[in-house]
Amino acid sequence: MGVLTLDILTTAAILFAVAAGLMIILGVMKLINFAHGAFLTTGGYVAYLTGAAGISPWLSIPLAGVLGMAAGLVIERVIVRPLYARPLDAILATWGLGIVIGQVITLTFGRGVQFAPSPLSGTTALFGVDYSAYRLAVALIAVLIAGALSALLSFTRFGLNARAVIMNETLARGLGIDSAKVRAITFGMGAGLACAAGALITPLLSVDPNMGLPWLVNSFMLVMISGVSFPSLLIASIVLGGAQVLVSTYVSPILGGMTIVALAALVLRFNPRGFSRA
Amino acid sequence: MMKMRNLVLSASLSLAFGATAHAADPIKIGMPVGLSGANSVVAPSVVQAAELAVEEINAKGGVLGRKLALEIADDGSGAQGAQRAYDSLVFQKKVDAIVAMETSAARNAGLPIINRGKVPMIYTSFYEGRSCSPWMFVNAWVPEQQVAPVVDQFMGKEGAKKFFLIGSDYAFGRGMLEFTRKYIQSKGGTVVGEEYLPMDGSDWTAVISKLRSANPDALITSTAGGAPNVTLTKQLRAAGIKIPYGNLALDEGTAKTMGGDAEGIYISASYLSSLDNPANKKFLEAAKAKFGSKLETPNELSVPQYEGIHAYAAAVQKAGSTDAAKVVKELAKVSVQGPRGTITMNKQHHAPLTMYLGRVKRDGSVEVIKSFPNVDPGEQCPHLAD
Repeated sequence: MGVLTLDILTTAAILFAVAAGLMIILGVMKLINFAHGAFLTTGGYVAYLTGAAGISPWLSIPLAGVLGMAAGLVIERVIVRPLYARPLDAILATWGLGIVIGQVITLTFGRGVQFAPSPLSGTTALFGVDYSAYRLAVALIAVLIAGALSALLSFTRFGLNARAVIMNETLARGLGIDSAKVRAITFGMGAGLACAAGALITPLLSVDPNMGLPWLVNSFMLVMISGVSFPSLLIASIVLGGAQVLVSTYVSPILGGMTIVALAALVLRFNPRGFSRA
Repeated sequence: MMKMRNLVLSASLSLAFGATAHAADPIKIGMPVGLSGANSVVAPSVVQAAELAVEEINAKGGVLGRKLALEIADDGSGAQGAQRAYDSLVFQKKVDAIVAMETSAARNAGLPIINRGKVPMIYTSFYEGRSCSPWMFVNAWVPEQQVAPVVDQFMGKEGAKKFFLIGSDYAFGRGMLEFTRKYIQSKGGTVVGEEYLPMDGSDWTAVISKLRSANPDALITSTAGGAPNVTLTKQLRAAGIKIPYGNLALDEGTAKTMGGDAEGIYISASYLSSLDNPANKKFLEAAKAKFGSKLETPNELSVPQYEGIHAYAAAVQKAGSTDAAKVVKELAKVSVQGPRGTITMNKQHHAPLTMYLGRVKRDGSVEVIKSFPNVDPGEQCPHLAD
């Protein structure tokens, strides 16, 4: 039982960390960032390069975050901003951007599978079971990210502006909030979060040019049913992640892989607003 | 004037029909291979191996006074691409033979075209077994040859009785584990769990938790090569699983890059680059000389391709022509002395192979623990004569 609980909690934490970047971009910019998967992959390669350079694997996560943020700011300026008035085209542009990033990675590193070292190896005894130490660390980091993001939105000037833009952008602009700046920072943060999440999950996975794709699908589903709110994203991660672990454990891991998508579709069918209170 | 016209006519005629008349035209070997898609990681090494074999044969004057030429076609690692690749090789390029390292999906799609075009084919990838055609020969391993060394080692030396099997959900993964399960049961062992994840799945959490609660003595896996193999191994190690671990899909190159995480994994192969025999040394030196720093590490998929082309050349030499029916008769008889030893495809179009049980060392290199000479492929195609 202990193992099952830990499986559910750590799976939910990983899902949350991976989906957070997608959600803040959706919230502020009303834009589904289909390059999210490619950002995750980029984070994975940052972790790989950090490992190859002999730098502590712990540092790969903040490094990826900073790099992702910088890249996000540039991408926002060059690709996304000119398309603000054409939301559908902007979504297509991020899809194309994802393909370009994937191809650049393939050309640079090849299609082969690479490896990033894990900062923690072995197991830790918890609730009477030996459990993967790094998964527990990932869960802890995810909780920290959630806390930091919530604090950012609730207690800072930027958070106030961002919430204003989320609620009513026209009105926010009328009140003198520089919504273009808020959008730019948000896209940078979203990209940074995605890269950091990629570096975070990489020690559990392998690094290859397509590693982000399955995560993009799951993140998308989670964000669709959670709406724009960190608490509801947390709930969605626990419910869907938990369902995935339960189905995988008691039915079949093959069905488990489809659980998130199937369940998200069901939730949206019966409650189009998903878990969001807004 | 009339004469002149005849001359031009006959010249153009001889150009048009030159292919059949001219003895020095090259013998064309078609090579459908997955330059894109799942096989694209390994494909470059396979192409190099084929180029090396062709160069060696041509340096000795070719076959029957004709040079060999490769026609390479991308099959996209899948069925649709393979149909196009085979169609164009067999009916447009009119190749004399096909020597192919491919996915099972691509082979299954190409085989009907081979049967229709009546072209000799050598399949050089290990696979799940029981694919039969009067025109196709296989010089790589089938489950009968690969699984036994690992299971025997675990049941003998490690004293394992209860096995847990993990695979990727596709024809090869399921085929391998089905054979493994039956083999374990026939030897008196039990399978306490058998789990699959889709090929693009990377989260093995639930599978590993099931493995823990089943408490097996040994683990055997058959995932798709590359990513799933790595994610599973990393997560097993992170979960502290330390039981004997046999991996039916791990290749030397991947083991090397995984380093510490791969330590202790048992693998079973017909080729390891560390094989200590003169033919392998000569092969590795020749490959190095030809490709230098661009050399893709030779492996269990590229070496059979190299040997396959030599086998075809030997069969043509013996048959005295490229006539498909004659060549196919000889393919079942000729032996190739290659890096993997002496190989003859004389068992229902399959080949007895010497298999090696290896264990990955801490630095990622593979240590050969035991060799099993001339392991029989078993009853693969009973209706085909030996």
